[in-house]
Amino acid sequence: MSTRARDILVPLACLAVLALVPLVATESYTRHLFIIAFIYGIIASNWNLSLGHCGVFNFGHLTFFGVGVYTAAIAAKTFGINPWIAIWLGGVTAAFAAFLIATPVARLKGIYVVLVTFAFSQLAMQLVLSQSQITGGAEGMVRIPFMRIGDYSFVRDYKLGYYYVGLGLLVLSTLFLLAVINSPFGKSLKAVRDAEDYAESRGISVSTQRILVLVLSAVFTGVAGGFYAIYLRVASPEVFGFGTLALALSMVLIGGTGTTYGPIAAALALTFATESLAGIRGLEEARFIIVAVAMILVLRLAPGGLLGLLNRLKI
Amino acid sequence: MIETLLAALVSGLVLGSLYALMASGLSVVWTTLGVFNFAHGALMMVGAFVAWTVSEAAGLGLLTGIAAGTLVAALLGVLIERLLVRPFYGHRSMLLITVMTTLAAMIILEKGAQIIWGARLKQLPRLIDGEVSILGATISAHEAVLVGLAPLILFAIWRFTLKTRTGRSLRAVGQNQNSAALIGIDVPVAFAIAFGLSAALAGLTGALLGSIRFITPVMGAEPLVKAMIVVIFGGLGSLGATAGAAYLIGLIEALLIVWLGLYWTPFVLFLMMIIVLVFRPNGIFGGKE
Repeated sequence: MSTRARDILVPLACLAVLALVPLVATESYTRHLFIIAFIYGIIASNWNLSLGHCGVFNFGHLTFFGVGVYTAAIAAKTFGINPWIAIWLGGVTAAFAAFLIATPVARLKGIYVVLVTFAFSQLAMQLVLSQSQITGGAEGMVRIPFMRIGDYSFVRDYKLGYYYVGLGLLVLSTLFLLAVINSPFGKSLKAVRDAEDYAESRGISVSTQRILVLVLSAVFTGVAGGFYAIYLRVASPEVFGFGTLALALSMVLIGGTGTTYGPIAAALALTFATESLAGIRGLEEARFIIVAVAMILVLRLAPGGLLGLLNRLKI
Repeated sequence: MIETLLAALVSGLVLGSLYALMASGLSVVWTTLGVFNFAHGALMMVGAFVAWTVSEAAGLGLLTGIAAGTLVAALLGVLIERLLVRPFYGHRSMLLITVMTTLAAMIILEKGAQIIWGARLKQLPRLIDGEVSILGATISAHEAVLVGLAPLILFAIWRFTLKTRTGRSLRAVGQNQNSAALIGIDVPVAFAIAFGLSAALAGLTGALLGSIRFITPVMGAEPLVKAMIVVIFGGLGSLGATAGAAYLIGLIEALLIVWLGLYWTPFVLFLMMIIVLVFRPNGIFGGKE
């Protein structure tokens, strides 16, 4: 099989399998895990756009997700906007938040990028906690309106509707990422990552590319956040915490930075792994330790991620 | 009005002392190894829990507890350097990788502490009971000890890096590893010392803070974020600039709390940080890199 055929056929086969999963997984818990995995897949693969493809040390990626969560929650619950529209508003505000933070970050180098983006996520959490009359503060927001078409509620049929909305968003996000990465703009991102000075000498504006890549990586992350809020019907400040950050980061690392499908595959694998660990008594907290150890081992033994390792072995 | 202002100044001094101790530890590791230790706040938390276990649960006294907390944190720091930092030395994207490995260390320490000590709030007794009046503003004697101790410790670190052979070897390694190795400095040992010293500082800070705030698995997160703001203001390069920025931020924060209240203060601090960075990417006191 040629590489080109493999790059198209393998993902399509995976998609076909995922589309048929609800036939086998008929109860709502397994479907729930898949939906959460799709959401994490969107977060991780979009984070990979800035971190892996452009080399921006953005540690505030979950902020974009959180902005999406709260935008959709407030839009749907406080303003009564249709949830179908509310989740896309999450993408808009997340992109705007990304633009706000990207402007100062684009001028910075090395560790200062990490510090500022990280501090930004902490600030967003502070803001959510302090504006409790709007956001519900530490308790968060509950009973957010759910999705429906006509009289059909998406909560029915063991979450069948939500499963396909989640999968559909993952597909859209992936097509979007592929289009960005394969465009001339995507190639200039790699140039900025691998040879900053040379890229600059060829007329690529490093700071403009950094701003653009952060904004683009925020769009579907925010939409995923909006969907998360509508699906779970809850918005809590936990989304800004270290736990979610570490889980998403481990998906990027284990899946392989700079690959397109790696983080999505890792998101599926890790969601099921951590959820099944959570079911074992006494491991509810320890599962985060296991994920952290796995992250260290991957960095140590397979820096390209597990998918990168497979590619190198020509499997 | 004057009284409120004086009270704010004194509470700013307490905050500044705390941030100075935290941020100087980060600075020691950064100047020697070029690594930003995300687990620094978690090491602080471990210091507080160990101090509590030795002093309260085992009943061996507060001073023994503080010493034990400092020692355990130092040992953990050396362990983190050995296992999570050293394997990546000389790697092309070492800065990013060590951010991620120390972040993983932070998760392991926080969740580990939650499993070992549980989520129930704990607190240490105070070193000295009673209150002290400074400029008409009253703080607890324990906070006064913290305020008095911080400059002494900072002075000691400064003398150590300037005057002792070991301290100078740390600076030499920070400037040029290869040259340092050529003149007979054991580079790995220097790394271990820098990490151990920094972690000991974190542990001591945690043990002292455990009498003022509640000891919880996540108690290190907020001081770490504040220490980050401090090093962004001051630049990571020199101990003096970091300490100066720590006191400045402490004072600004205390004044902002009086002026705007607790909720808006972090927001304004962050905005100030962004403005500083746009005009001085290496910090207010930082020179060119």
